[in-house]
Amino acid sequence: MPTLVDLLTRVSFLAAMPAVAGIFVTAGILVISREWRLNVLALTVQYFFVVLLLTRLIRLLEVAAVKGLIGWMICMVFYLTERQASELERAPDVENAPASKRKRRWFISARVSFNLLAGLLIAVVAYTAALRIPLPEVPPDISLACYLMAGFGLLMIGLNETPMQVGFGLLTLLSGFDLFYVAAVPSLAVAGLLGGASFLIALAIAYLRTAQVTAAGATGERERP
Amino acid sequence: MIAGPILLLLIPLVMAGVTYLLLRWASLSSLLAVGTALALGFAVITLPMDRPVSLFPFLGEGREIALGETVRFFGRELVLEQGDRMAMAFLFFTSAAIFLLAWRFAPHSLLTPIGLGLLSLLSGALLIQPLIYAALLIEIAAALSIFGLQPEGQLPTRGGMRYLTFTTLALPGLLVTHWLLDLYTLTPDNTGLLNAATSLLVLSFALLLGVVPFHTWVPAMASDGVPLASTFVLTVGNGAVWFMLLDFLETYPWLSRHPLFSSVVLIAGTSMVIVGGLLAPAQRRLGSLMGYAVLADNGATLIALGMSNKLGLALALLSLWVRPASLILMATGLSGLRAQSGGNDSFDALWGLGWKAPWSAAALIMGGVSVAGLPVSAGFVWRWALYRTLAPFNPGTALLVLLASVGVIIGLWRGLFALLTRPRSAEDRSVTPPLSSEGWLTGAVVLVAIAICVGIGLFPQTFAPLTIQAAETYTFFSP
Repeated sequence: MPTLVDLLTRVSFLAAMPAVAGIFVTAGILVISREWRLNVLALTVQYFFVVLLLTRLIRLLEVAAVKGLIGWMICMVFYLTERQASELERAPDVENAPASKRKRRWFISARVSFNLLAGLLIAVVAYTAALRIPLPEVPPDISLACYLMAGFGLLMIGLNETPMQVGFGLLTLLSGFDLFYVAAVPSLAVAGLLGGASFLIALAIAYLRTAQVTAAGATGERERP
Repeated sequence: MIAGPILLLLIPLVMAGVTYLLLRWASLSSLLAVGTALALGFAVITLPMDRPVSLFPFLGEGREIALGETVRFFGRELVLEQGDRMAMAFLFFTSAAIFLLAWRFAPHSLLTPIGLGLLSLLSGALLIQPLIYAALLIEIAAALSIFGLQPEGQLPTRGGMRYLTFTTLALPGLLVTHWLLDLYTLTPDNTGLLNAATSLLVLSFALLLGVVPFHTWVPAMASDGVPLASTFVLTVGNGAVWFMLLDFLETYPWLSRHPLFSSVVLIAGTSMVIVGGLLAPAQRRLGSLMGYAVLADNGATLIALGMSNKLGLALALLSLWVRPASLILMATGLSGLRAQSGGNDSFDALWGLGWKAPWSAAALIMGGVSVAGLPVSAGFVWRWALYRTLAPFNPGTALLVLLASVGVIIGLWRGLFALLTRPRSAEDRSVTPPLSSEGWLTGAVVLVAIAICVGIGLFPQTFAPLTIQAAETYTFFSP
């Protein structure tokens, strides 16, 4: 049975512009979408592309694989949290479906168009930055990926106050930074601590999301006659 | 022989697990946490650095503790230097005070286990070499603190999320700075590296210390986090960041000799003082009032550091030491009042509550007075020294710090007015509210805390020499 490292070697042909394009698309989805299934999937795929790019920067492929595993564990935490949350939220949603859906459609369309435009602007800025101020120690395409993730991460943090969206933003930002920093300072201890920090951030975000659902449920119960 | 630094990391971590398991028995759990923090604090200041000591002779030889011994932990060095002792003692004693008040005002909360876990991480941040790892440990501590900050059954803490966000944003700058400075030692002609490192460092510490415009996490955390947990972050967590900043200045002395150092730090501090002082009286909630009061106080500390001399450094350290005495009292009062008003700390919800929860009201007012730096309180000790030092050279800044205190006092006065207004009967007549709903034990704990706060204010000579001594261990402002 092939190991994770073998699999990474097999798909290494993607570890250039296709991976950067993949990161652009997945980060864009995270900026625009509020559908948790799509977002968790996008984050999972994003970690895959980040790992692919990391294989070009790290001599020890195992380290890249471990970083990928941490990323996918984070996605698993998010998936389980959101699944639980969606089940808890379903009941009040069904009761108020018709009126709130009409409202939400309008709300989403305005928000999506704004986020799309902001995302495109960030992409242009990231592209220009990668051309004008290329990051040291990394190839130009990885420099672009770093700028894209940092930009999209900041955008998500700036535009949202909900735990999950802020969490996606923080983790995207950290992944972008990690991609650059791993080339600049190839230290196993730093890589481990950054991975640990990312995982703990994911746990904290999941905890806040749970608190959000619990509090909303309690408010709903109080309001119900 | 056991290396002391490793014990300072492991004991709080182990006790975090123990207190979590005992959380059902709130008193036992809290008092265990208090005991642990106090014991470690006393150990740090009393054990000799230059020779091993045997604390438990009955365990036989080889069970000695060497506090000053360097130890390798996962390939990194943990070193307890003379300058770190005061910093570590500050972390442990402040935590002990918070845990003690949490026993009465936040029992069953995650504050004690999470606080001990944070103590371990923040101790590691102060002990570990090189400083790059300190930044990573502070980031991990920020993520962990979310679990303590989130109040039970309430919406997610905005302040906690912002704190995590700003700490995460500061992390890349600190890590890249370290790398740039390593590059600079190889190519000393490339001064561009030095300038880039300085800019990143300034930005990162501005984010970590809540300098305007990155201050939004401070009032938000005080407003919607568990009050004593917020205080833990704003005193112990913030203290660790301050000591990390001083370590940076000590390791890279060219930073404090930069021609713009004094101006940048003074501008940053003054902006915090202005924003804190202007927005504090406009608040309609006690939590956010506390946040802006801390912002102004932290700004005044930056102003003290911006004086770029030993006296300024001693004043900054003194402010760090006395701030917990004020802030813990204020948070205690806030906890008690929120418990009485169902979690709401707006002035409207607190109407007349001072009669029902007099100890909490007293703690809040005394803490607020101290944060504002009024006489006969702990905060006055360092504020008075700051005014006297600043006034001859920079009277404008001294006046701004004074006006910020006035702003905080106005906000506090409005809160006091709401708290002490007697409830009215249906016939619109003032009625005598029921007796205090707080127990005598709670009253006794609050009374001791107030006595400590006033005691520091009346006898500053107990604290001041210690901070001057601590300032002597830093050499970056030496001529």
